[in-house]
Amino acid sequence: MSYAASQIIPSFQRPPSRVAIRRAASYSDPLAAVIQETVTGLGFEVRDKTILLKPNFVEPDPQGIVNTNPAVVGAAREAFLRLGARSVVVGEGPGHERDTEGIIETIRLRDYIGTLAANFVDLNLDDVTLTPLRTSASRLRELYFPRSVLAADIVVSMPKLKTHHWVGATLSLKNMFGIVPGSCYGWPKNVLHWAGISQSVLDINSTVRPDFAIVDGIVGMEGNGPIQGSAKFCGVLVMGSDPVAVDATCARIMGLAPERIDYLAKAATVLGHVAENRVLQAGETIDSVRTDFQVLQPFERLKTVHAEAQPRPT
Amino acid sequence: MLRDSQLPGGAWPARPGHRAGCWATSLASLAVFLHDGDCEPVRKGLNWLCSSWPAESGLWWRARTWFRPTANVAGQDSSLAGWSWTPGAASWVEPTAYSLLLLNTVPEDLLPRHATKRRRLGEAMLYNRMCPGGGWNSGNPLVYGVPGERRVGPTAWALLALRGYANRAENQQSLRWLEQAYHQIAGPASVALAGLCLRAYGRPQPGLEARLASLYEMNGFLGNIPAAALSLIALSPEQDCLFDDSGRRRSDP
Repeated sequence: MSYAASQIIPSFQRPPSRVAIRRAASYSDPLAAVIQETVTGLGFEVRDKTILLKPNFVEPDPQGIVNTNPAVVGAAREAFLRLGARSVVVGEGPGHERDTEGIIETIRLRDYIGTLAANFVDLNLDDVTLTPLRTSASRLRELYFPRSVLAADIVVSMPKLKTHHWVGATLSLKNMFGIVPGSCYGWPKNVLHWAGISQSVLDINSTVRPDFAIVDGIVGMEGNGPIQGSAKFCGVLVMGSDPVAVDATCARIMGLAPERIDYLAKAATVLGHVAENRVLQAGETIDSVRTDFQVLQPFERLKTVHAEAQPRPT
Repeated sequence: MLRDSQLPGGAWPARPGHRAGCWATSLASLAVFLHDGDCEPVRKGLNWLCSSWPAESGLWWRARTWFRPTANVAGQDSSLAGWSWTPGAASWVEPTAYSLLLLNTVPEDLLPRHATKRRRLGEAMLYNRMCPGGGWNSGNPLVYGVPGERRVGPTAWALLALRGYANRAENQQSLRWLEQAYHQIAGPASVALAGLCLRAYGRPQPGLEARLASLYEMNGFLGNIPAAALSLIALSPEQDCLFDDSGRRRSDP
């Protein structure tokens, strides 16, 4: 469905999107139950579907601040299976580190999803199909994509809530860089940077738009993300079937203005909703969980309040 | 299969049937040369590699960093051109190391005209991209002034490519880091590669076979063919001739 059903629809023709913000105090909370309840509440149907979970696994990370926490990935897998999904596999193609097995063993993914050989696919090495892109924001006209992604009925993007030193924030849309196979494009997938990061984010997501997003915002990263930043407790999971609206909500939680994040502004035209009045919040309110994330100096302009809210000097 | 998939311009694609040449060209050329010494495909591969320049060596990029030095947040010297993963992208550590391994292995009479210059630039680029304290990552030792994490794969490839300068302080620092990191590695590709590199520098690690066997037992290497190939090379007594460029000790780049 992800690839087959991805459509370019002007946002004004899309109905409002629902995004759920759920509190989670730690990774030992009953996360599977929270995800199951939220997916059901949002009316997202998974029965008999094949699902590919796409987390953000970047580097061996014993401290657990860089990657999507494997507890969230395991919980999502359990929730979707309980809801009747035919199969749920985890797929990732790390952008810097070629030794994917080294990453997932370091973070002990096997403890959460079981046998890796059966339940995990390395998207960097998967079979690929050359696929025309559905938008032309970048100069890329086609990309190889892994067959496991193209064949899945449902793709779920599962990023970690992080700042990013090139684009401001990395969330469920930017996370889809990880489906681009390293075996074709290298480690890092530098062709996407030279084609324009924001433009590439739009082109990839217009072609393989995630059907659902679950953002691990329990512990995020602020400052010099996505790798060298600092851990930031935020205590939320953010979910929804419009990845643009989910990312916009996450940005607001981080204290950033989503419409000032270049790739979200572009995505708002054809992929989903950024405007606050087109996003229906479920669960917690943004204000009740808002946790301002520090950003590098070039991204101070993305912040929503500090400039406007502070009293003017007299 | 390797010969059949070479493209008319001399490059190799990442997979048979793909239309564009890439990083695989150096490793495919090396494999063809070492397997049967057939020089013609290798000569064509070398020509393609030596005429492929990374994007940051282009006039536009150099002018941009000259006029806007703040744009160079990684603080790299873009005049030191190595090799990119794909045409039109920037130099990175691993594809540069692969190309240097090829240039260091084939006889001089196979090398194209610019090979010596490209080799010097590539070696200098690798040293320029070394992380503070030794070791390499994919190619960003500093971003916004913060040191990047060193990684086993890029470090091992860079050290293999720079083996002609084994006694340089940078090589020795990086070797020390790799030896320390070796025992914490969790993935088979990195274990094999680190074992291969340390052996090439005369520091073989005991128990490599048992360690790889236990990793294979755990996940079957997740079907990762490059990891399996590296493991077999690392366990083969033939590996010594693979990186035997002992006659090519060179002066500093």
